[in-house]
Amino acid sequence: MAISTATKAATDALAANPAPVSVGAQEVHRWMQSFTWDFDKNRTKYSTKYKMANDTKEQFKLIAKEYARMESVKDERQFGSLQDVLTRVDAANRVHPKWNESMKVISNFLEVGEYNAIAATGMLWDSATAPEQKNGYLGQVLDEIRHTNQCAYINYYFAKQGQDAAGHNDARRTRAIGPLWKGMKRVFSDGFISGDAVECSINLQLVGEACFTNPLIVAVTEWASANGDEMTPTVFLSIETDELRHMANGYQTVVSIANDEAASKYLNTDLNNAFWTQQKYFTPVLGMMFEYGSHFKVEPWVKTWNRWVYEDWGGIWIGRLGKYGVESPRSLRDAKKDAYWAHHDLFLIAYALWPTGFFRLSLPTQEEAEWYEANYPGWYDMYGKVYDEWRARGCEDPSSGFLPIQWFIENNHPIYIDRVSQVPFCPSYCKGESTLRVLEYNGKKHSFSDQWGERMWLSEPERYECQNIFEQYEGRELSEVIAEGFGVRSDGKTLISQPHTNKDGKLWTLDDIKKINCVFSDPLKAL
Amino acid sequence: MSKSSNAYNAGIMQKHGKAFADEYFAEDNQVVHESHEVVLVLKKSDELNTVVEEILLGSHKADNPTLVVEDRAGFWWLKATGKIEIDCVEVSELLGKHYSVYDLLVDVSSTIGRAYTLGETFTITSELMGLDVKLKDLAAA
Repeated sequence: MAISTATKAATDALAANPAPVSVGAQEVHRWMQSFTWDFDKNRTKYSTKYKMANDTKEQFKLIAKEYARMESVKDERQFGSLQDVLTRVDAANRVHPKWNESMKVISNFLEVGEYNAIAATGMLWDSATAPEQKNGYLGQVLDEIRHTNQCAYINYYFAKQGQDAAGHNDARRTRAIGPLWKGMKRVFSDGFISGDAVECSINLQLVGEACFTNPLIVAVTEWASANGDEMTPTVFLSIETDELRHMANGYQTVVSIANDEAASKYLNTDLNNAFWTQQKYFTPVLGMMFEYGSHFKVEPWVKTWNRWVYEDWGGIWIGRLGKYGVESPRSLRDAKKDAYWAHHDLFLIAYALWPTGFFRLSLPTQEEAEWYEANYPGWYDMYGKVYDEWRARGCEDPSSGFLPIQWFIENNHPIYIDRVSQVPFCPSYCKGESTLRVLEYNGKKHSFSDQWGERMWLSEPERYECQNIFEQYEGRELSEVIAEGFGVRSDGKTLISQPHTNKDGKLWTLDDIKKINCVFSDPLKAL
Repeated sequence: MSKSSNAYNAGIMQKHGKAFADEYFAEDNQVVHESHEVVLVLKKSDELNTVVEEILLGSHKADNPTLVVEDRAGFWWLKATGKIEIDCVEVSELLGKHYSVYDLLVDVSSTIGRAYTLGETFTITSELMGLDVKLKDLAAA
């Protein structure tokens, strides 16, 4: 019987390239190269304006067998720790209640990022022409699947073993009303999977992973440990053991286009856009989660940012590429200002909009206020005194009839949503890099908080048409919207989110919100 | 606390309040500055604790005086000028079991710099691998 063409090709290839006698992983890796995989004329559905070189390497020389063995050991260690010793010592109930709330946000949002990274790296696998580069991307596809499960699992673990499960177990259903969700989808979804393939790689790998996973997945474990959470270091540091290969993938993407003429035309703009896109969300949100979502402080967020983002990512990744024409991101000055102030601005707004969230927030204590003022001189006069006023008006008490959003309305400080990043901002009451810009397009007004997003919007306005909550719920009463958007617990009336983390404190219900008669209005209509 | 310029809280990080802000917002610090340092984050584990304590801070401490290792709760944070290398053949001998470079990668959590493997050696370097320096494959036997 005649053998198939494929079998004959494989037989011939093996005859020409005999398998190595030993099975050392890197010998197998070298042997596989002799098959001269040819993707030079690769056709892809996901095009790029750059020409990716055909000889780019994968830096760890991974073969499937070693990859699978390695990841299996990682999972055994992680799940073994969680299911054995951490459960036995009741670790989930030792977490400080404030940090328990932060992990609702961090893990749920990271899960979305990991999920979208599966698609992003699948796209890059399709676009690349170098066999080893494809191999690197393929490994990353599998990693991202693992990470999606890990993030889901940590929420499952917190919900099952820990305290106040609401928000760990059902966060995603609140995605229509939560003002942080859409911005998160901009960085963790749109930025990774829409548009030019190499630009997506710069967003995901060179900036998202090489830069922001260090505070998001590594530094976060210091804050977790300090606040009694030993589950997060177990899971997140295991996630990060894959990220080093992803960072290498991002670097090799740059290597693959370094000699392409298009790089000199586009790379710095694409890098700046990616840096601004990622920092615009991660900088304030992570800072807010670390500082305002913890009881025990590790260090000021601005120092964490300065170390991991400015000094190390900036100097070691971007600075070293200077001789290949890579420039310091033009938006860095504004990003640094955001790293100092924007998380304070965001917490003020997040606390004011607390009923729309899926996690509990709490006002800074006197001791924390002193810490903020010592580390961010000027903090009290801008933020602290507002929190004192809110507290005095009973913002934590359901019978007070006071929601902090009323303070913004009474003092004529409208809150807008930046059309590009989807991050809320209050231009008349902020210290971060936010100024109001309004443009009209197709009969609709669009607000922007900064020149960098505005520039991205001007180049492709159709990309940024996402409705924000003020447009979506214009004229609707808040308790109706919360009920419709699944912002309540299993009793059908108590809000998932609460303005305090006090276990003995009264919980707000839909009736408490309804009595206040808070109605959504779109601030752009008043302009 | 280490006084090395590579320490976790070196330089500006030792400053507080207004002094920190003044330097952070200084004109010279509004652009990135090229750095020849590398950073390695190692997840704490039975094997990695041995690598850190017995090799990097033990038998090989003199090899790289710029290396700083700090305990950051769940992980070891390492920073050095130039490069950090870990030879897994040596780690195997110390552990008394086979321990390949891929076993090491089970607990290597993050890298800032160009990390790669060659044979049983893991390296993270400030060199631009693939641009200034070619990435090597295992030599043919």
